[in-house]
Amino acid sequence: MGEVSTSMAGRVLLVLIALGSVSIHSMAQMGSSPESRFEQRRLRLMDVVSQERDRGFFTVAAKLATGRDKEFALAMLDSLTSDESMGGMFYSYMAIGTYLRLKDQLPDTLLHKIRRAYRERTMYRGDTENHWVAYYTGLYLAAQTWPNEERSQWFNGKSSAENFKESEEWLSRWMTTTATIGQGEFDSPTYFTVFITPMITLFDFAKDPVMKRKAQMTADLLLADFAAEHLDGNYCGGHSRDYPEDIINPLSAPAALWAWLYFGEPKVELWQESRYRPRYRGGWETLFGAMSSYRLPDVIYRIATDRSKAYVHTETKRVRNIIRFGREKNPPVYKYTYMTHDYALGSLQGGILQPIQQHTWDVTYRSDKPNNTIFTLHPFYSGKELAMFFPEEQKFLADDVDRYHIVYTDPRKWNSSSPYEQTFQHKNAIIVLYDIYPEANHKHIDGFFPKNLDERIDDSSGWIFCRAGSVYAAVFPLRPYEWIEEKINWRWRSADLKNGIVLEVGCSDEDGTFESFKKNVIQSKPALNSSKDDLTVNYKTRRGDAMKFTFGGKRLLNGKTVDFRAYKLFNGPFIQSERGSGVITLTDGNNVRMLNFKKATIKEWQLSKN
Amino acid sequence: MIDQYETFGHHRNVARSLLILISLLAVVVIIPATLLSQESTVYVSVLSTKLFVVGAANPETGVFYKKTTDDTVWQHTGPKNIRDFGIAVHTPSRGQLICIAAGNGLHKTTDGGKTWKMTTGWQITEVSSVVIDKDDPHLIFCTTPYGVFKTLDGGATWVECNNGIKQLFTSSILMDHSNSSTLYCSTEDGVYRSEDRGNSWKRTGLTVGGVRVVVQHPKDSNTLFAGTDNNGIYVTHNGGKYWEKCAAGLDHSTFYAIVFDPNNPQILYAGGYVTGVYKSTDGGQSWKRINDGLTNLNIHSLAVDPTNSNRVYAGTLWSGVFRSLDGGASWHSAGLTGSQVWTITVQPF
Repeated sequence: MGEVSTSMAGRVLLVLIALGSVSIHSMAQMGSSPESRFEQRRLRLMDVVSQERDRGFFTVAAKLATGRDKEFALAMLDSLTSDESMGGMFYSYMAIGTYLRLKDQLPDTLLHKIRRAYRERTMYRGDTENHWVAYYTGLYLAAQTWPNEERSQWFNGKSSAENFKESEEWLSRWMTTTATIGQGEFDSPTYFTVFITPMITLFDFAKDPVMKRKAQMTADLLLADFAAEHLDGNYCGGHSRDYPEDIINPLSAPAALWAWLYFGEPKVELWQESRYRPRYRGGWETLFGAMSSYRLPDVIYRIATDRSKAYVHTETKRVRNIIRFGREKNPPVYKYTYMTHDYALGSLQGGILQPIQQHTWDVTYRSDKPNNTIFTLHPFYSGKELAMFFPEEQKFLADDVDRYHIVYTDPRKWNSSSPYEQTFQHKNAIIVLYDIYPEANHKHIDGFFPKNLDERIDDSSGWIFCRAGSVYAAVFPLRPYEWIEEKINWRWRSADLKNGIVLEVGCSDEDGTFESFKKNVIQSKPALNSSKDDLTVNYKTRRGDAMKFTFGGKRLLNGKTVDFRAYKLFNGPFIQSERGSGVITLTDGNNVRMLNFKKATIKEWQLSKN
Repeated sequence: MIDQYETFGHHRNVARSLLILISLLAVVVIIPATLLSQESTVYVSVLSTKLFVVGAANPETGVFYKKTTDDTVWQHTGPKNIRDFGIAVHTPSRGQLICIAAGNGLHKTTDGGKTWKMTTGWQITEVSSVVIDKDDPHLIFCTTPYGVFKTLDGGATWVECNNGIKQLFTSSILMDHSNSSTLYCSTEDGVYRSEDRGNSWKRTGLTVGGVRVVVQHPKDSNTLFAGTDNNGIYVTHNGGKYWEKCAAGLDHSTFYAIVFDPNNPQILYAGGYVTGVYKSTDGGQSWKRINDGLTNLNIHSLAVDPTNSNRVYAGTLWSGVFRSLDGGASWHSAGLTGSQVWTITVQPF
């Protein structure tokens, strides 16, 4: 080894790159079939990442795959494999992924250095679900790549066989859990990338056909899960974990680049858009998607892009492991999302479902402007909340977390779980209530309203009306509020302890003009009952549905109790799955793809026209 | 009258008395002098540093050690950056056997740190503390947020042993020094006791939440102290049946660390959230703060050098290790600045 060996695929790439990035760029916008457009996008992405200078495995992989700056790439890889301070779960899957994709181009010295990393570096497993997926994917593939090696040859003192078995067990268990009771770090616009990339890498390189198929199925599941709540690159609905920058600017989240690659939306190349910079957290994980042999099933593509009819989509997820102060280890999370061609309104039921970065509800709308979202929250923080999920001392956890997630204790933060927040959504209307205890650290609620709305009107009826292009929103605050002007948004703030809002969303296709929308909404006014022991709202939507919601009590729709316990794992026109079944049925109305995680099988068929 | 025999006997008695006196002098003077010059080793587990970022390039964390007579460099042993919570050093093997309780699981060396093995799999994680039976080094217990686990074969296999424990979040475990079948563990709903090597547990008389640490009197196995989050320090003199709250002199409520002076059990030290170090010289009946020189009052670990009781170590959250050479009267930084020092142990070798 040591010599460059260029594969046929590499030669084809080099020819394509020789055509120049401009022509590849234009190719990415063209093409007739979804397959050819995908092919153009993936080549375009490889070309773009190959121009990066930041140190990272993806930069190395892109440069080597495209033949650009090969010596530079090899020097970078040498640095990555020589830096003793590096290690851990992300390193674990990125290093082996780079090795397996490009070993034919790597000199022996670097091949040995990568191997040595798994002997001498500590690969910290981490304490979150995405950490473990990354760690065990890396360990599985490394143990598979170097089988039959003794314990002394591995960082953890376990043999290849032991590491392989442990990784296989955990990955299989995680896949089954995700497909039966739901993901813990579910629907995260940020961490989606840390789940999908290992699964695609596992699909590409697992030699065991069962594991390979399960990785493919899990990649399908993750992408279908995203697709059902996807709108023009935006990951809509409630999220387990999201960063404030991504919450107020949804297209800046790493998931959006996966949407661009697989769904072809948004149409813009995000890295060219300064309004979405700086992004990708130095990652470019999507590169592995571009280099992968994994192909998005057509049915998922259509789930992601067919917004011809509005629909309700519900899901059950699970809370990550509660290790103390809870009655149940993984309580269910109930998601409700209403998707239309122009907007999505989505919510979680509220309460503490994830520490630190929960995003409970929002409206996200199709827009060519950034900050295309409206939502409210209670900026809750407490050491006890963190101690529910982390084993360190609760008196220090808040400060500790603030070191990584610098806004955790900030009264102005845009992500939060709160025990004092609950929601009740029906289609395009939502009631959000806040019953804040006096001892809460922050006693106000905030709302995000982008400054770039075309209209925002504080109506004398008590409603706040907003228009962004053809999308309309009406917000009824239950208590007095103030507006605070900020750089990109108006911060709506209300300081009553028993508080909340009612919101309706619409669009020109549904409601005609903005004026007619306002007229329809104004006809109904939310009725609030608030006392020491009660916080109840009655509201009749503009569509005539009666909603009654008591904080900590019942959700009544047209007099009938909404029972979350009846929720399926997935329930909507595109995805169906009974909780616990492990069978996920994906359909676009014409074609069906069934993922059976208990049998590790994939079946596809067409629906009859009858 | 005293006959010769008797005289001899008298002389013999005098000689015997002299021998006893010399022996006593040896006990009082010579042995401590020997101990003073005897080497000991301090081990600490560093959970994190101010610069630590999960998954990124990081400065070293994990287990560090150095000779107590050496003020210079801490040496690292074992896996790096795996979020080490606890450490157990097997004294009879003179540190050949060491176990680390860490985020990744339980790691073990049997050759003094030359090689390490992660003995646990995916089922055991976030290990908070570990104890090794001094007489049977294959018997090891560890605590996790998911309960107590034990191995009878040195870590080759582990079994969950939580029968009787209601709140599985366990943060420390103690093996009775006089009977290794008896164990105590601290949980979120009090202190539990097992009399059958962890096969079953019963909650003791201490039922407050957030018990963080349990320690045992070095000679009287029925006397134990428990430090809690928010509820102060408790003591029992009957193996856990009844507990009393220690009040005199304690102005704080959260204690993560309590330690006996192994050479004088009347002396104890305690520390916790913004407490600095408390010292008791009357077996825990009263306490005084001794913080001269301590620049960080958040104490998570304490240890007394068994070879020199005046040498006391305090592990802080974010300011590394502090050391006192005068029984806590004054403190000086002993390195690892910026670290969260979760556990300290000093070994007599």
